Amino acid sequence: MNLIEFIQVWIIAFLTLSLLSFLYKDNPFYKLAEHIFAGLSAGYYVGLIWHSVILQQMIDPMFDNGKWYLFIPGILGVLMFSRFTKNYSWISRLSLAFVMGNTAGIFLISELHGKVLPQIQATMRSIDPGQGWGEFLLSLIIVVGVVTTLIYFYFSKEHKGVLGGVARVGIWFIMVSFGAHFGYTVMARISLLIGRVQFLIDDWGGSIIQLFS
Amino acid sequence: MSFWVILAYILLAVSGVVLLYLTYRTDDRRFIYLAVGIFVTFPVLVTLDLPFKVSPEARQLFDAVEALPDSSTVLLTFDYYASALPETEPMSIAALHHLFRKDCKIVTMTTIPLGGPSISERVTRSVAEEYGKEYGVDYVNLGFKANYVAVLKGMGTAIDVIYPTDNSGTPLSEIPITQNVNSYADFDFIYVVADNNIVDYWMSIVNAQYDIRVGCGVTAVMAPRFYAYIGSGQMTGLLGGMKGAAEYEKLVDKKGTATKGMGAQSLVHLLIIGSVIAGNIIYLTGRRGRDKNKPNGSAA
Repeated sequence: MNLIEFIQVWIIAFLTLSLLSFLYKDNPFYKLAEHIFAGLSAGYYVGLIWHSVILQQMIDPMFDNGKWYLFIPGILGVLMFSRFTKNYSWISRLSLAFVMGNTAGIFLISELHGKVLPQIQATMRSIDPGQGWGEFLLSLIIVVGVVTTLIYFYFSKEHKGVLGGVARVGIWFIMVSFGAHFGYTVMARISLLIGRVQFLIDDWGGSIIQLFS
Repeated sequence: MSFWVILAYILLAVSGVVLLYLTYRTDDRRFIYLAVGIFVTFPVLVTLDLPFKVSPEARQLFDAVEALPDSSTVLLTFDYYASALPETEPMSIAALHHLFRKDCKIVTMTTIPLGGPSISERVTRSVAEEYGKEYGVDYVNLGFKANYVAVLKGMGTAIDVIYPTDNSGTPLSEIPITQNVNSYADFDFIYVVADNNIVDYWMSIVNAQYDIRVGCGVTAVMAPRFYAYIGSGQMTGLLGGMKGAAEYEKLVDKKGTATKGMGAQSLVHLLIIGSVIAGNIIYLTGRRGRDKNKPNGSAA
């Protein structure tokens, strides 16, 4: 480990421990680490957007390749700043209208073609016992789960009687889904902690051993 | 496993029970944090190798890559922030080992501004060095471009319009590996490693509209959502969180940080299961006690 890496490891370890110290109680070290993160992120984003969007995708192509039509999105971007004025804030709606129209156009196709239709198709499963009991059971669970969950979200009629019973089955499927999400979330958060602990023991611990050897 | 290690783990279990009891007695959640901290740290210090099975989804992804002809061109994405490194970086490393072993040509890219380009550069170069792969010939890093929807759409038409240069500013026309890569049609497989909902766009824009196979490695928080894509046959394999990364490490026979972390993962899960059961028992016994003390006929 060279000197630069050594200093990097110690800064990372200090910030990691500062952030973890919040678990005991709020303290100045936690606040310092939090503010450093917020400040660095904001500064990095400004530099990155200037370089990768304004320079690379607008100014350079305009002046180097003569793509003067790029001044149109540039002006639309500038118009967004009109929101800071009371009398002219309406001008920003021109840019927003463009963004909304553009986004709706792109996502209408992709959502329909890439999500809605394939997912509906995957739900239309045969529930014929002749296909084997395992496959039959799986298909039955999917069909019953989808139908009962959809009925739970049908609010135009009070959930009483048969409708209420079916909706209650839907709740069970939703609860199983929440349970799976919760289990995976616990795993994710613990993984992040494991990563930090592995860093502290392997990298920071290694640098401490190096310091005293 | 030696006697002392077994004894140490028994003491660990006892400390967990004591800390849960202290949480109950003092109503101070910091004892739970301490218990989780100890249960995570201990298996990292004293390695605990617990067996785990490879899921069908991880196997599907491995088989899909394995079935690629040698020297195929693969797009590998690093769509994750530094905060998700413990889960996603082992996936990327394992994927690179697998792809380089198969002599695949790898094009890497990222849609993440904070850390994405540097992570992809660092990880790809370190694994490439192990296999003696040359930058520009065997792999290339396209880097980051803002507005991922426009990037994903645009790459379907012409990659060099979206990425005129690689991450270090070299024009793609001067890089051997990208001279014959013009759009998605020139990739044999797309391997997405992500920590955000860009996976939806890889599926709904790239997979659905350009008909190219996409396999994904995602953080555990996101994984349940994407099983629907596996069920519908749209996604070719899925790795979920650190467990998914460990599964892929096992499949490519390259133990990494994910495999090492599985011991801690399993122990903390046991602690959480134990605390949930203990919490429910305490709640139910407490409620019974309260019900007994309640006067007859009183409202709940």
